[in-house]
Amino acid sequence: MHTGNFTDEYKNHKNPCPENIEACNACNCAKGLDGVCSNSDDSLKTAPHKGLPEYLENNIIRFVYLLRAGGVRIGSSEVVDALQALQLVPLTDRDSFKAALKATLIKNAAAQELFERHFSLFFTAPETREGFLKAHQQKLTVQRQQIKEAAQVLSFRGEQMDLSATDKTVFAYMPASEQKRMQNFLALNESRPTLGANYRPFLEKIVKGRLSFWHKQLGKEIEKELNQPDVGDQELNAIRDAAAGIGKGGYNILTEDMQNIARRDLPRATLLIRKMARLLVCRISRRFRASKSRRKLDLRTTIRHSIQYGGTPFLLKYKSRRERKPQLLLLCDVSGSMINYTNFVLQFIYGINGAVKRIESFVFSEGLERITPYFQQGKNFEATMEAIVKKSGEWGGGTSLDKAIQSLFRGYKEELNRNTVTLIVSDTRTVRHQASLKEVQRLRNEVKEIIWLNTLPRENWDKYASVQAFQKITTMFPCNTLTDLEKVLKQRFLKK
Amino acid sequence: MQLTLEDLRKDFKKAGYICDEETVLTVYLSLVLEKPILIEGPPGVGKTEMGKVLAQIFDTELIRLQCYEGLDENKALYEWNYQKQLLKIQIGRRDAGAGQQAGDLFSTEYLLERPLLRAIQAPRKAVLLVDEIDKSDDEFEAFLFEVLSDFQVSIPELGTIKANHIPIVVLTSNSERELSDGLKRRCVFLYLDFPGIEKEVEIIQAKVPQAGDNLTKEIARAVNLIRKNAEIRKKPSIAETLDWTRALVSLNKDRLQSSTIELTLNLLLKNRADQRVFQEQIGARNLWEKSRSSYLG
Repeated sequence: MHTGNFTDEYKNHKNPCPENIEACNACNCAKGLDGVCSNSDDSLKTAPHKGLPEYLENNIIRFVYLLRAGGVRIGSSEVVDALQALQLVPLTDRDSFKAALKATLIKNAAAQELFERHFSLFFTAPETREGFLKAHQQKLTVQRQQIKEAAQVLSFRGEQMDLSATDKTVFAYMPASEQKRMQNFLALNESRPTLGANYRPFLEKIVKGRLSFWHKQLGKEIEKELNQPDVGDQELNAIRDAAAGIGKGGYNILTEDMQNIARRDLPRATLLIRKMARLLVCRISRRFRASKSRRKLDLRTTIRHSIQYGGTPFLLKYKSRRERKPQLLLLCDVSGSMINYTNFVLQFIYGINGAVKRIESFVFSEGLERITPYFQQGKNFEATMEAIVKKSGEWGGGTSLDKAIQSLFRGYKEELNRNTVTLIVSDTRTVRHQASLKEVQRLRNEVKEIIWLNTLPRENWDKYASVQAFQKITTMFPCNTLTDLEKVLKQRFLKK
Repeated sequence: MQLTLEDLRKDFKKAGYICDEETVLTVYLSLVLEKPILIEGPPGVGKTEMGKVLAQIFDTELIRLQCYEGLDENKALYEWNYQKQLLKIQIGRRDAGAGQQAGDLFSTEYLLERPLLRAIQAPRKAVLLVDEIDKSDDEFEAFLFEVLSDFQVSIPELGTIKANHIPIVVLTSNSERELSDGLKRRCVFLYLDFPGIEKEVEIIQAKVPQAGDNLTKEIARAVNLIRKNAEIRKKPSIAETLDWTRALVSLNKDRLQSSTIELTLNLLLKNRADQRVFQEQIGARNLWEKSRSSYLG
């Protein structure tokens, strides 16, 4: 990827890097961050990591590793660009050096903050970096110790339980009171002489159940800890840790879980949802209409118009597929489990109602309520939603999909026909699972299609039996981030 | 002559385009590496202006391609002039025996050049401004990056046309959607944000020099304050700041006044929701007071 030319180029550079690297008097090479001549073998020996020697371009590559671990997509061609760019800027000027890297490596606005953070930590004084390394090593030692302790505590009659590393980490992260409770529980069982050694698997199950509960409770905090990508060497891992400690982390409105979208970003999310809603309802029919965009030649009209030019087809006429708007039925889950997504669901309902005329909207939790009339008053988003939330009794209840669909059949049977496309926005978690399944099947038989937008992240679908069951009878798409939603529309509705 | 960073900095200043050091450097890199520059940022920060300024600096033609949903090759690259071809056939038929060859109909004479082809065939290095690329379809984006990667175009009837001079390409995007990695990979990236107070003062001074010193500073502070409010959906652009300044100058104002702010607010905030937010959360009097005090600047 990087050629020998670069190396020579930088080796001969008198003052190659701002602040960090000073020229070596002996051979004019670029001294490494540890102040060791990069031409001497010592640079490899003294490097705190076993990776690449500390030439400038190697440092850039290591910096790229670090950014990639932070979630920035950087291709090798971009690394080459970065190295070329560095030849064009005065390397003694830190700002220019930074701007050159930023322009060539970072290609979206969301990653700018992440770049700034990592840059300031990576290109810093050697002592600071050593500090990071020490802190990281200390953290690792503590973690290993904690896991070791967890293994000792979680044992029955001197025998350690068969627990995964994840389980042990979860135990280490549990509040002290809970750890104590579990310890007491185990101690209590141990003291019962009636329980033999074969009781251990049974205890193991209980402990695992409890730990998986806490895994969910601790949520993001522990996920972050467990799923940290390994950057490749200890020093980079240390910087990654230091970077995670400050700032808010990579936040991209398009890939962020919709429950976390900040209030200030809502206008943008709304804009996207509205655009999507508009696409969603403009489905392509098999009929043609006259068109200026050149999809297909309309021979009949062309011949008709050729008469005025004595039969020469001078003006060509085109046609394209007519967009046909289906009748839409929107069912939105507003139960307790969906409460975090309320903002999204509300925006979605409002956006889609603004884009289509032929739509019936309902919200459901334990019962079903028609909310279409609220949108016909032409009020703005805040007023409409306030009216709905105030008057409707469905918000935050439990979910009974079966009852909701039954109410739909009872009260709004005439809305259900072969031209109706039903959209369900829900996380599939409902009581009376089997009955609900049956009702969804019944609805499926009545309408043209059921599209299910599932707010659970795609990677968690396998964990829920309900998702798999509903997935079989409906067309289900993940709808956890705005990118998900965009994908749905691209896959389904933009095929022409 | 080899372009240097210092030259470019001076040129920008001469053209009246006030920007920070990072912007100059990024543009410089894109020019020297001969890579397209992709500029993202909120509306009204001077993304499109960059294309115009570069054309001015290099004293060359600005070829503009405005993107929109449904833009296709015919409108962006080339098209055969079908009517002209037909007429040629008709004339050929009349003057029978002229030996009309079908091949003659597909020569450059009948080719309608669209912006991309024009940029490639331009006799001197041109500036190609692809505006609002995020508004085009995915297919078009893929096609565009093919053209931008090797700067050549294949026309089946004529063969491959290679660029005489690699044009200076400026792509702008409002990030309405994520652009493909492939396209981004080929570009140098620049994120332009609204200028800080000092930069905005410089811009106003450069563009509306008639405005007094006090008025300029107060306007820059006031606009900055309005932009800081998260609830305001459409933040006032630089062009709007300049319009406002011109309006105040033509009203013979040399300082901001709360009544003037009330009356001329329409020039800055152009929808009712934003105006309501302004009245409720900022207020003309408050804005006037804050724009006078120097703590912001």
